[in-house]
Amino acid sequence: MKNGEPPLIVQPTHSEEGVDLTLIRWMLSLTPAERLETLQSIVDFREAVRSENG
Amino acid sequence: MAKTDFLALLRTLNGHRVDYIVVGGVAAVLQGAPVSTFDLDVVHSRQKENIVRLVAVLQELDAYYRAQPERRLTPDASHLASPGHQLLVTRFGPLDLLGEIGAGRRYEDLLPESIMVQAGEQVLVRVLNLETLITMKEELAQEKDRAVIPVLRRTLDEKRRR
Repeated sequence: MKNGEPPLIVQPTHSEEGVDLTLIRWMLSLTPAERLETLQSIVDFREAVRSENG
Repeated sequence: MAKTDFLALLRTLNGHRVDYIVVGGVAAVLQGAPVSTFDLDVVHSRQKENIVRLVAVLQELDAYYRAQPERRLTPDASHLASPGHQLLVTRFGPLDLLGEIGAGRRYEDLLPESIMVQAGEQVLVRVLNLETLITMKEELAQEKDRAVIPVLRRTLDEKRRR
């Protein structure tokens, strides 16, 4: 570490139970409306795939 | 099949001034939990005037029970006034209207545990807070409800660190 630089703190990527903490941090960086848009896009994708596959 | 549109469902409920609290997966997502769901779960006020507004919403949404789609049965005011769960499909996707959740918690009981969230442009919704969502999930014996608890707990931890 160079003088004057803050120590590098590496945050864990997963919890002990295997929860992806990076995904939670990313979701928390969005506004509530953006989070709902994300969920909507997941649902839309699933519906499109289901529709394509009969 | 009806295409799920969460915002359209919320806009319709708001448009009729229905008193409700969003619970379940959509409430979790709005508060930052990376979970997925296909339906909108709400606990509604069972006050008489609210039931009247809710019946109007269900008419506008062409709602019917999804357990027997071929019969196209629609809940009436007495169903909506009960503590039971009305599992419906609408023209904007699945909608669950819940008279009570967990250990007999009604809309009025959950109000102090709720927060207002901007879910979209001019769509302000009341959602159950993460702490109470976790408690509700813990009270339910279903495996699918318990599976999501670690994600909700970690989301709450991360939120508190911010």
